[in-house]
Amino acid sequence: MAMILTAEQRDMVLALINDPPQGSKIAAAKEFGIDLTLNLRQLSMTFDEQLKQLEDFDDFARGLRRASRT
Amino acid sequence: MQFQDLLKALADCGVEFLVIGGVAIAAHGSAYQTRDLDICYQRSPENCDRLVKALSPLHPYLRNAPRGIPFLFDRKTLLSGMNFTLGSDLGDIDLLGEVTGGGKYEQLFSDSVKFTTQRISINVISLEALIQTKRAADRQKDRLVLPELEALLEIKKKLGES
Repeated sequence: MAMILTAEQRDMVLALINDPPQGSKIAAAKEFGIDLTLNLRQLSMTFDEQLKQLEDFDDFARGLRRASRT
Repeated sequence: MQFQDLLKALADCGVEFLVIGGVAIAAHGSAYQTRDLDICYQRSPENCDRLVKALSPLHPYLRNAPRGIPFLFDRKTLLSGMNFTLGSDLGDIDLLGEVTGGGKYEQLFSDSVKFTTQRISINVISLEALIQTKRAADRQKDRLVLPELEALLEIKKKLGES
């Protein structure tokens, strides 16, 4: 089953993101330039909320494209 | 793009499929944005019939073909091809019979993860398999998302240990 973070897990992930173990994949992602706090938000959402967010982004992108044509 | 309605249309017709691609990436916790739904479908004739039943009312068309090219979306077409990039009334959907680095539906299904939308259970490719397919595909867009997916896998493993 998919996992939605509990408050305790959220704190644990935040600590990992803020101070990742040296040589870890988390540290490598941060070094690569990824804002992992965005992942924390995603992991706290239900699948329905994630899908809704993707749909909203698509609407936004379409709106921008329409605006650039006018 | 109406991801929820597209998934519901597939589930309502009993299509055996699992979500791969950008929606799977987002489901596993990435902030990656996508504008289409990618699925890996089981390729039995019966399942192809279910896929046709689910998508035909949504007027599927070949997204990357010139307008006006005749396209008959039926069992024969699905079994004659493998992967299809389609547009539909509910948005773009890619149907993959086989995934680079991951294989066919049966191989990916065994360790897939269940997510729920609108009270419907949907199978999503596992994070481990997703990483494997991205490594195998090795396109620029795959290489860009890999560090984030690998970090997410590490986070999930650490959560599992706690």
